[in-house]
Amino acid sequence: MKKVITLAIALLLALATAGLVRAESSRTVYVYNWTEYIPEGVIDQFTKETGIKVVYATYESNEAMYAKLKVMNSRGFDVIFPSSYFVNKMGKEGMLLPIDKSKLNNFKNMDSRHLNHSFDPGNKYSVPYTWGGTGILANPERVGPMPEKWSDLWDSRFKGTLLLQDDLREVFGMALKKRGYSLNDTNPDHIREAYEDLVALMPSVRTFNSDSPKIPFLNEEVAAGMIWNGEAHVAMGELDTLQFVWPEEGAIFWMDCMCIPAGARNVDEAYAFINFLLRPEVAATMVREWGYATPNMAAIPLLDEATRNDPAIFPPISVMEKSEFQNDIGEAITLYEKYWNKLKANQ
Amino acid sequence: MSQIRNTWRLLPVYIFLYTPMAALVAFSFNNSKFSTAWKGFTWQWYARLASNTQLMDAAINSLTIAILSATIATVLGVLLAVALFRYRFCGRRAVQAGLFVVMMSPDIVLGISLLLLFVLMGIRPGFLPLLTAHTTFCLPFVVATVYSRLKGFDPHVIEAAEDLGASEYQAFKNVILPMIMPAVAAGWLLSFTLSMDDVIISFFMTGPDYEVLPLQIYSMVKMGVKPDVNALSTIMIGVTVCLVFVSQLLMRKTK
Amino acid sequence: MNMHNRFRFLSISGAILWLSVFGLFPGLLMMGTSFLARHEAHLVDFRFSLEGYRTIIDPAFLKILWNSLYLAAGTTLLCLLAAYPFAYTLARMETRWKKVLLMLVMIPFWTNSLVRTYALVFMLKTRGIVSTILVWLGITAKPVSFMYTEAAVFIGLTYTLLPFMILPLYSAVEKIDGKMIEAARDLGAGSWRTFFHVTLPLTMPGIVAGCMMVFLPALGMFFVPDMLGGGKHLLVGNFIKNQFLVARDWPTGAAAGVVLTLLMLALIYVHGVSKGRLNKAGKKKS
Repeated sequence: MKKVITLAIALLLALATAGLVRAESSRTVYVYNWTEYIPEGVIDQFTKETGIKVVYATYESNEAMYAKLKVMNSRGFDVIFPSSYFVNKMGKEGMLLPIDKSKLNNFKNMDSRHLNHSFDPGNKYSVPYTWGGTGILANPERVGPMPEKWSDLWDSRFKGTLLLQDDLREVFGMALKKRGYSLNDTNPDHIREAYEDLVALMPSVRTFNSDSPKIPFLNEEVAAGMIWNGEAHVAMGELDTLQFVWPEEGAIFWMDCMCIPAGARNVDEAYAFINFLLRPEVAATMVREWGYATPNMAAIPLLDEATRNDPAIFPPISVMEKSEFQNDIGEAITLYEKYWNKLKANQ
Repeated sequence: MSQIRNTWRLLPVYIFLYTPMAALVAFSFNNSKFSTAWKGFTWQWYARLASNTQLMDAAINSLTIAILSATIATVLGVLLAVALFRYRFCGRRAVQAGLFVVMMSPDIVLGISLLLLFVLMGIRPGFLPLLTAHTTFCLPFVVATVYSRLKGFDPHVIEAAEDLGASEYQAFKNVILPMIMPAVAAGWLLSFTLSMDDVIISFFMTGPDYEVLPLQIYSMVKMGVKPDVNALSTIMIGVTVCLVFVSQLLMRKTK
Repeated sequence: MNMHNRFRFLSISGAILWLSVFGLFPGLLMMGTSFLARHEAHLVDFRFSLEGYRTIIDPAFLKILWNSLYLAAGTTLLCLLAAYPFAYTLARMETRWKKVLLMLVMIPFWTNSLVRTYALVFMLKTRGIVSTILVWLGITAKPVSFMYTEAAVFIGLTYTLLPFMILPLYSAVEKIDGKMIEAARDLGAGSWRTFFHVTLPLTMPGIVAGCMMVFLPALGMFFVPDMLGGGKHLLVGNFIKNQFLVARDWPTGAAAGVVLTLLMLALIYVHGVSKGRLNKAGKKKS
């Protein structure tokens, strides 16, 4: 018995020291990102070429990442990947370092149409990484003709078959767009109108899902709904009766960007890493793997004809003109949240 | 004979618990990235897993944290449960209320406030904060399990032992501990389970160089959870089932 | 100091120290934050305000609260009904494999809950395993889906929380002296009477512990209703998380946490008082 206890204690101590002692390499960059959001092999390649070790940590939502960095005074990480309106918010609150483009010789690869968006004028704090948007995916075999606009979803033939994102900005954005308002609208009357429209839509909604909206489509639990284009691209590859459209009223766009937090310690390494990810080959791999568009112009020639011209991956100019990126809406978020709770509680 | 009949009575629960597991195992061999329909047999997810050092590291970290925090929480929890059962000390009610509040605290509150506490103390998120937080949220579960077992035991037995000259520690070791052993084991198992599965508190406690598995899996969702997670789960289930059976057989041999 | 006091002192103070640093601090912080105001850039504004409480005095929040209590209570009941016979049978078995059988209950729970919930989707979806079996048995003609229903949420929550009921019950049943039950039977009590008058009271502490350990976590298990219930059943846990992260309204989130905790404490207090009365009444009778 004594021996067993001694052995157990020894084992516990060994585990504890293994946890505490971590070898520190001389040059390291701390990357904070989604799991598997950088193509396989890219990180190894980077370490091989530059000798900089990459420590990769993951978050599960922009909101959670923001809360953690806020509490930690923007310290602890060197490169982060916030989406559009968090770039906006974090930039405003001094949580990001201004980007010195002269340190990024691959910045010239960027398509100028994807720079200078409203969420970060002049790309002061952010370098675009990948982007996409929310459109409509439907299975015409089950619900008849393909919907073309957001407002088509209010049609009674969709009763009990719709999927909406489980994200209040996306859902309200859709309803605001339907009415012709901006998806960043902060006017309380407009938000209320959007809420009333959504109440009318609820009987059609079968599920809210923004974890992996393609799964309910593939399980044939839902027949139509709003979905990110990359997810739609993958879903269409698995089930060929599905079709994707960019709604006439305009889509909801997001862009994931690379930023350097204000408290970063390894700034040079961070620039080296960002610069590496701006290489055309890396960007092209990303498009092939996930079906999201790249802002990297030099990557386009590396893609095959079909991918390059796939409107579900690269929305045409006409769609881009009507669509908007999500922006920080300040205090208005509490109003959205209030209506969101009402919408869900009155089920 | 009645033993066999009794085993049949257990079966529904095992079926309930293991049918989804069987589906999970089956889909780890499915030749489709998004595992919704069967598309043929493959080993590719296991091969991919072997090269996915990030996921493997996180799995090992999770196991480490779960074993350590379950053990510390069990030690603290047993002592606390016994103290609550035996002694009438001042602040006894407060301790009970405190345990209850920890059990009750929404994960997000516990996560954010502990992070704030560690930032104030100048400790960077990582191994130690993670271990502390996990131990803390496991503690009430151990106390509740052990206390419920102690309740109903005759305190006179312990007093009798002490009357016979046993010290407090001896009474604890020789009388109380054997009585509550099943509850101690249960408390440890529950803590281990809780720790293996926590996402939100872990999110705030992990530092860049110490990541845990549940967090990686939740974060993977953005790009679609791939079957390599199923493969990892299959290996874990397989290894633990084997360990349990082998240890049982070994114990039988030594007898 | 002699051995006697030292052990007692160390065990009490060690645990209290841990609890007051890592348990009290979050509690106090939640309490404090709930009386502050929201600030757009700094999360909280350090001035006294009841705004957080005012926001949650709202029919929507009460509905969410009620819905959570209903789901949690239903789950607790289901867990109890499934776990009691199981734990009872297992604990009273006399076989070397008892520990192995108990471990087998725990092993599925070491798989990540998200992955496990995905596995449940395979069971419940259209053309899923349950539906296929029902069609094969001829119970239904067409494939049926159980997804996005209240039943699916209950199944998911029960699946996730079952071991938290089984383990305390197991340890409570295990301690009953078999002779007590035999004695009751010998005195001519039927199985039901024995159960209600001997077994049930003796396992009561285990039942209470198990119910608490299922009920409280069930209030916060938001990913199960999200994935199996279609995100249409908001839970308090969900509400609080959204307040902290999405709306970044920490005072409201904290206020909801405080209200929930107080409500639960009150419930337990009432339970304690009524039990105390019952005990007293019982003693008088005898």
